[in-house]
Amino acid sequence: MIRLPGKRKETAVPADTGGRESEELIRLENLVKIYDTGALRVLGLNKINLTIRRGEFVAIMGHSGSGKSTLMNILGCLDRPTLGQYYLEGQDVAGLKPDELSAIRNRKIGFVFQSFNLISRMSVEKNVEVPMTYARVKPAERKRRALRLLEQVGLLSRVSHEPNELSGGQRQRVAIARALANDPPLLLADEPTGNLDSQASVEIMELFARLHESGVTVVVVTHEDNIAAYTHRIITFQDGRILSDRQNEHPTPVSSQQGLLHRLT
Amino acid sequence: MLIENMKMALAALRANKLRSFLTMLGIIIGIGSVIAITSIGDTMRRMFADIYKDIGVTQGYLYIGYWVEDVRDSDYFTMEELETYKELFPGELAYVDAGASLSGTVETKLQKKKFNFTGIDYNYIDVQPVTVKYGRYLRESDVLARKPNCVMEASAAKELYGTENAVGRTFRIDVYGTMTEFNVVGVYEKEMSAFQRLMMGSNSGTGEALIPWTLLTWPNDSIYQCHYFADPSMDEQQLKDFNQRFQAYVAGTKGRNPEDFYLVSAQSEMGQVDTMLGGISAAVGGIAAISLLVGGIGIMNIMLVSVTERTREIGTRKALGATTGDIMIQFLTESAVLSAVGGIIGVTLATALVSAGGAAFSLPVVIRPSVVLLAVGFSALVGIFFGIYPARKAADRDPIIALRYE
Ligand SMILES: Nc1ncnc2c1ncn2[C@@H]1O[C@H](COP(=O)(O)OP(=O)(O)O)[C@@H](O)[C@H]1O
Ligand SMILES: [Mg+2]
Repeated sequence: MIRLPGKRKETAVPADTGGRESEELIRLENLVKIYDTGALRVLGLNKINLTIRRGEFVAIMGHSGSGKSTLMNILGCLDRPTLGQYYLEGQDVAGLKPDELSAIRNRKIGFVFQSFNLISRMSVEKNVEVPMTYARVKPAERKRRALRLLEQVGLLSRVSHEPNELSGGQRQRVAIARALANDPPLLLADEPTGNLDSQASVEIMELFARLHESGVTVVVVTHEDNIAAYTHRIITFQDGRILSDRQNEHPTPVSSQQGLLHRLT
Repeated sequence: MLIENMKMALAALRANKLRSFLTMLGIIIGIGSVIAITSIGDTMRRMFADIYKDIGVTQGYLYIGYWVEDVRDSDYFTMEELETYKELFPGELAYVDAGASLSGTVETKLQKKKFNFTGIDYNYIDVQPVTVKYGRYLRESDVLARKPNCVMEASAAKELYGTENAVGRTFRIDVYGTMTEFNVVGVYEKEMSAFQRLMMGSNSGTGEALIPWTLLTWPNDSIYQCHYFADPSMDEQQLKDFNQRFQAYVAGTKGRNPEDFYLVSAQSEMGQVDTMLGGISAAVGGIAAISLLVGGIGIMNIMLVSVTERTREIGTRKALGATTGDIMIQFLTESAVLSAVGGIIGVTLATALVSAGGAAFSLPVVIRPSVVLLAVGFSALVGIFFGIYPARKAADRDPIIALRYE
């Protein structure tokens, strides 16, 4: 069993099902991101105010260039806002130094990319171990945990393969296992199904849905309605602003096929 | 973490075998030549030390300088003078003779053989130990009475008489114009080092024998040079000091300045060998330093290429929580491993080469483990030094820019 922090167990019931008001995980206040490309200044995000609570399952939608990735990079502490505040678990992270941000990314955030970004020439298992290496987890514990995570994403039979020997869907599942390595409270995915066929996309979304059920806060960027339909809250961006923010009352149910993540719950 | 990094570095090296090898070439040549030259130097130094030990390190010859124009009779030595020196430097001057020898051909029914007869005092055996196998060594009485007695080296005796036990045999040779009959009173055996045996190969044709030095003081007992051994227990400094004092004293008794007398000592000869070897080492050291510099720059270049190629990997690692230090150490380990592997290959090649050379001349080659360790360690340091700039470049990458890199 993966040990989940007590706090998160309490909020395992998603907020929108009528459970008690859960605690804030993310709060953005008047967040502005300006890209300064010399001659041209581009407004990536324009005064965003947004709160995401623990245990939410959120889709970020919008046209290309609407600011989705900009938001995700800031939420993921990969980039810093030009103006405004970003509180993660109550901590103002906007002004942290690069190595402090590294530590936040390592412990608190799991990031899943559209292009997987697995490290080549390194086994699937070693890839999953990378974040634990930077958290200075002991080798035996790293291996134990990596295998457990790979079992949960259904890739136990592929642990010693290298990334280029896997299909896109399998690679993204490795990336998800890796994102979960240090048991972060927040999982961010920027168009995780963008490079996948529809079958693999469904598998990935079901994986996210189960992770959400187990208490992880999941934020997924997509511009496909059927992908967003799995989530419980859909925020739409346009020109760096929030155009709409609505609850999804009838999220796509997760097929009852057992297997993925059955041990997590 | 470090082990992890090293494994990764070796994997990267294996993935690009040819490129890695070409990169390491400078280091291989640099470290290889350092190892080869130190080994050759050490071997030669050992060889000369052995040879000088065989001939006696405390040995010296003192005579009036060949540059002195107004040479007087008193610049030569008398037998009495040589005797007094021994009494004047007790405990320091172990042995004195005239440093004279004689070549001649000895003929028996069996053989005709060239000989070198060394004129010695009875206590020569104390400074040049040999084993008397048959008969006896020369005695003080032989020397004082100028008896034509001879102690012969065993292998020469065997060649000449068909038996090593040549005691009682006689032969005739010309001593400064007088045919003289010599008696063989003893046969000796000399222990030889591997190096000496190697050197003997060239002059094995000449037999060795010892005769009283008092037979070789022609003409008129006027002796050209003083051949001596200082006490063998002296250390380098004591010996140097004694040689100087002795030279000054002898020159003084003859109304000369010390520098008018020429002193050839085994010690100063050895010093010259060391100076020569030092010169060779410095030259090769210079070449090695240049190869290492070139090798280091090669490593820097390939690491810069690697950092660029792996920009996305760096971005990914940073996104997963790597700090600046983590990335820095990863790339420094990689360049250190690359360079150290080059060093190891260099050491291996040089060792193989030098050993093969040694085997060809049947010489025992000296390879100091400390030098090998130092060389490999130093190559790793070269890798670290030239890896700093590329590693810094990698570590300072902004994760978001690195992740966008195509
Ligand atoms: N590094 C950058 N430099 C300059 N402009 C950028 C940069 N990244 C994004 N932008 C601009 O910011 C806006 C939002 O981009 P982005 O967040 O990537 O959109 P999305 O992910 O929704 O497609 C776009 O106009 C884009 O051109
Ligand atoms: Mg985008």
